[in-house]
Order: sequence, then C-alpha cells, then structure tokens
Amino acid sequence: MRVTIMQGLEQAYYNLVHMIAEFLPRFVVMVVIILVGLLAAYLLRHMLRAVLRLTKLDRVSEDAGASRVLRMADLPSMTELLSRSIFWITWLGFILIGVSVLGVAGLQEQISRLFRFLPEVFIAMLILFLGLVLANFLSRAALLASVNAGIRSPKIWSWSIRFVIWILAISMALEELGLARQTVLAAFSIVFGASMLGLAIAFGLGGQDLARRALERYLGNSAKEKYKEPQPL
Amino acid sequence: MADETFLSDDLLRQLMSVGEVDLLVGILSHRSANTMRRAAHYVEKSLQQNFVRQRVAIINVDGGAVEDSNSDERSDDGEEGNNSYSKGLNSLRTIHRVTAGFNGAPSPGLALRTILSSSDLLRAKACAVVSPATSSTSPEWVANLLRPAFRDSFDFVAPLYSRHKFQGLLARNLLYPMTRALFGRRIRELYSDEWAFSSRLGTFCLNEDMWHEEPVRSRPEAWMGISALTSDFRCCQVYLGEKPPPPDGAGPDLVEVLRQTVGSLFWLLETNQQAWMERKGSEAVPTFGPEHAVTAEPMELNRARMFELFQTGVKELEPILESILSAETLAGLQSIAGLVQNTFRFGSELWVAMLYEFAASYHHSVINRDHLVQALVPLYRGKIYSFIAEYADASAADMEAESENLCLEFEQQKPYLTEKWKAGVEVKS
Repeated sequence: MRVTIMQGLEQAYYNLVHMIAEFLPRFVVMVVIILVGLLAAYLLRHMLRAVLRLTKLDRVSEDAGASRVLRMADLPSMTELLSRSIFWITWLGFILIGVSVLGVAGLQEQISRLFRFLPEVFIAMLILFLGLVLANFLSRAALLASVNAGIRSPKIWSWSIRFVIWILAISMALEELGLARQTVLAAFSIVFGASMLGLAIAFGLGGQDLARRALERYLGNSAKEKYKEPQPL
Repeated sequence: MADETFLSDDLLRQLMSVGEVDLLVGILSHRSANTMRRAAHYVEKSLQQNFVRQRVAIINVDGGAVEDSNSDERSDDGEEGNNSYSKGLNSLRTIHRVTAGFNGAPSPGLALRTILSSSDLLRAKACAVVSPATSSTSPEWVANLLRPAFRDSFDFVAPLYSRHKFQGLLARNLLYPMTRALFGRRIRELYSDEWAFSSRLGTFCLNEDMWHEEPVRSRPEAWMGISALTSDFRCCQVYLGEKPPPPDGAGPDLVEVLRQTVGSLFWLLETNQQAWMERKGSEAVPTFGPEHAVTAEPMELNRARMFELFQTGVKELEPILESILSAETLAGLQSIAGLVQNTFRFGSELWVAMLYEFAASYHHSVINRDHLVQALVPLYRGKIYSFIAEYADASAADMEAESENLCLEFEQQKPYLTEKWKAGVEVKS
C-alpha cells in the first residue's frame, strides 16, 4: 500500500517535472515572440508614421473630408490612427502566434476560430466607429440647440443623446459579434427603459412647475413674456 | 442665355405672350395673397407714374399664395388693391402680369432664378425684386430702385433704410463691416428683401453654375451683390425709407438668420477668395439719398436674458469654441464672460479677431460648418448686449462714428484673416 502511494507520488512528480520541462521552453518562446512582436509593432508604427507624414496623408485626408469625420468623432489624425492601428494589429498577431506555441489543447482551435471571426470583428468595429461619429455629431447639435434656445442644463441633453447612441452602437456591435445576444438585448431594454422611466419620474415629480410652464407655453397661455431680442436684419 | 428648362410650360407661354419689355419687377408672394396684392398694387402704381413710356412687366413668384382673412385688403392710401391691380391708369403701355406658380413655397434662390430667366427671355434692361413682407413698401421704393439700374446704368442697386437704432444690429456689427473690409466696397445692405440689377448682371448670374448651392438658395441677393462687387460691376445704394421690423414672431429666429447670413458670407469668402485677398482698404459707392438714418423710440428688450445666454454659451460651448478659436481669443472671451453686467464690454478688437477666426475655421472645416455658425449665436448676443449698453443714450452721429471705427478695425485686422486662412489646419494628435 505504502509502496503504491510512493510510486504514485513519484510518478506524479516526474509528470509535473516533465510537463514543466516541456512547458517552460514554450512559454519562454511565447514571451520572446510577444516581445519581438512588440518591438516589430513599434518599428512598424514609427516607419508607417514617418512614411505617411512624408506623403502628407493628413493633407489628402483633410481635402477629402475624412479628417472632418475623425474630428467629429474626437479621434486623432488619419496618420496617427493608421499608425496606432498597425501597431495593435501587428502585436495582436504576434500575441496569437505566441499563445499557439504553448500547444495547449483546444487553444489552437480557438485561435483559428478567432482568425475566422475577424470579419465580424471588423464589422463590429465599423459599427462602433459610425456610432461614435453619429453620437458626437448629434450630441453637439443638441448642445448647440439647447444653448441657443436658452434651455437650462444643456449638457444633460447632449450627454443623454450621446449615451443612448453609444448604448445602441455597442449593443449592435455585440449583436454582430454574436456575443450573449439575449443578455445584450435584455441589458439594452433595461438600460433604455430605466432611463426613460427615470426621466419621466424626474420630470413628473421634480419638474412639476417645468411641466406646467411647458404646457402653458405650448397652449399659448403663458403669462410670462417671451424673450425678445432686436431684429438682426 | 436663359436655361428655360426649369420654367414651367405655363410660365413660358405667359412670357412668350408678353414679348419684350424694358423693365421687370419680381414679387415673391410669401404664401400670402393679400400682402402680395398690396405689393403688386404699389408696384403697378409706381410703374404707371414713373415709367409711363416703358414696356413693363410684373412677375409674381407664387409659392401657393393663400388668402389671409386677418389682413387688410386695402392699401395704405385707401385704394382697394385688387381694383388698381387689375388695369393700368396712366401708363401709355399695357402692364403685363405674369405668375410663376410652384408646388409649395419656392426657395428664394429658385424664385430669383425664375425672375432672372424671365428677365432674360423678356430682354428686360433692368429688373427689381420687392418683397410683400416689407410692410412699408411704397410706389417710391420701386421707382427709386429701378431708376439707377435703368437710367444711370448701374448694375447692382442696394437699398438703404432708416431703422430703429437697435434694429439691424447684425448688419451693423458684422455683415456690413466684414463685407466692406474684405470686398472693398461700402455697401450697407447686401442682405435685403429689395434690390435691383441690370440685364448685364442678371445674365452674368444666370450663367453661373451656383444655383444648387445652399447659400445661394437661401440668400441669393447676397451672392448676387458679392458677384457684382468681385466682378467689377457698377454698384450703388439708394435710400428707400423706413423699414419697420416684422411683427413679433413673423421673422425667422436668430439662429436661422445667422445660419443664412453669416453662413452665406463665410461661403462667399471661400468661393471668392482670390478677389478679397488681393483688395486693400475700401471705397465708397455712389449713394442716392441719406446714407444712414436711425430712429430712437423706446424699445423693450430683455437685456439680462441676453447677457445670461452669452455667459452660458461661452461656458457650455467651451469644447466647441476651443476647436474654432485660438487660445488667446478664447481666453479673452472667457475673461469678459466672467464680468458682471454693469462692467461688461465686448471690445471691437476681440470681436473682429473672433469673427476672423470663425471665418478661417469655417474655411478649414474644423467642425461641421453648420455647427460652427451656430456656435456664433451666443457670442453675437454678447456683442449686441454690449452694443445696446454702450449706445443706450447715444446720438445717431455717435453710433455712426463708432460703426466707422468698427469697420476700420475689420480693415486693419484683414491680414490676420489672410494669415489664418492660408495656414493649414492644426491636426490633433
């Protein structure tokens, strides 16, 4: 009995040592690949940035109106955006190659699935980008309209619009990726419904006077004189 | 030659039956049959009295005019507009009346294009455009507008009005001084409802491929005026009389006015940049009648609200203003926005620098152009607040002197605009 236990422990110890002896070089290789990838990504980023600056891509982008879209989305210049993208794409590629070297069972399959998954990822990124652009554009339009109309707390309106569009874009992107469809749908419904309910309660309870004034103004019974300013022309 | 393809068959038929004319007057009906009838009455009366021997036609550009039961159908002199409108009384020739109908209200640009095409087909030597929305239109106005274009060979005739000293402040503080400084001619009212032009200028504008542009569609008179200035047509101004403000709620709101006028001006700077960059200083244009006249009846204004809207605008729009203005100008704005009402003054130097930076940012499209013009609204309110506070008790002469100083400030800072205009946009990294 005792001998059997000792033999079992000895076998387990040898297996562990064997596994570590087998895993450690692969892990070192993975770290080396990731570090090399980091270096390569840095080099590529700097090289691409230099080339794009030489070719005056920002000027071309400015003329084509693409820079305006990027500024609307509060994103960096076209040169910077492409340089950063190439950095992350390169490094991510090296990280995946490095991880595959580990030879963990099932991981190879997951990585190849990830590569097959890339088109959806790009579409999701595009949805997010467009959502970002639209959110920034509409929230700025709301801010300007609120400020010019003299509405109090204009940033609340601006941020509400930005928030709703972000939520919508994120849920659409996750839907595209096929991630937790039911959860996303439920989360969106809860967040959107809660926001609307919150606003309704806040307006009904906290803003009774405001609601009354708004209705009076709408019905044309306001005793308060309308704001007048001199004719500009 | 007119591109008559967009004119309806019915209008072409009417124009062909008229033949050739010496003068054409265009009226934009603004969907109100009664105001249109009153304006047509004055136009006809003016033509009968002042252009007895000329062949004349009136074109009513009608956006589906509807009867207004609240309006008085009688004109100010007690005559019934409808009767007088139906036939000429003194004229030796028939006064032809043509109606151009549209489904829905036509844009001002489309209306002007229709008038220009009609004028071209009728070979009119001079043409005037009047608006029924101006309640003080009189027969003299029409004659005064047409005479310089018809008899004195002027190509573009701009109106001059007498107004309350606190009306028309956008024109006084921005549109006039800026166009004067940049285009080098002292024409006060480029954004107006009434003006006249020669067949030469009409044909020139008709052949321009600009009619689809939004600024031309919304404010065609400004585009026509600037085209006349930049292409060295003969321009003049003529005093018409008092122009009362529209009744409360009748005119477009301030945001819409700025979008149309300032947006149009910035766009005109871009499309005519070679013309304005080379010009230096400014020169007067021939003026018929007094150059400026103001009235000063008491006027009720909510100045505190105006100041509050300025302060809120500077505070809340800071991220937007940061992308439009230089750090120095923005700091200047924030500094004056922190003042109390009694000590607040919006100086000319800061106002001009700010406007030139807005114009350059519009050119470089640092943000959406419509948003950029909207961001100017609270700042304009601040300037107007300051103006009203400064000139509450000032005489017309004092105001005129100050207006002249503002114009000179615009002219002095013009190199700053040129520099900003030519500089590349600052790219965020």
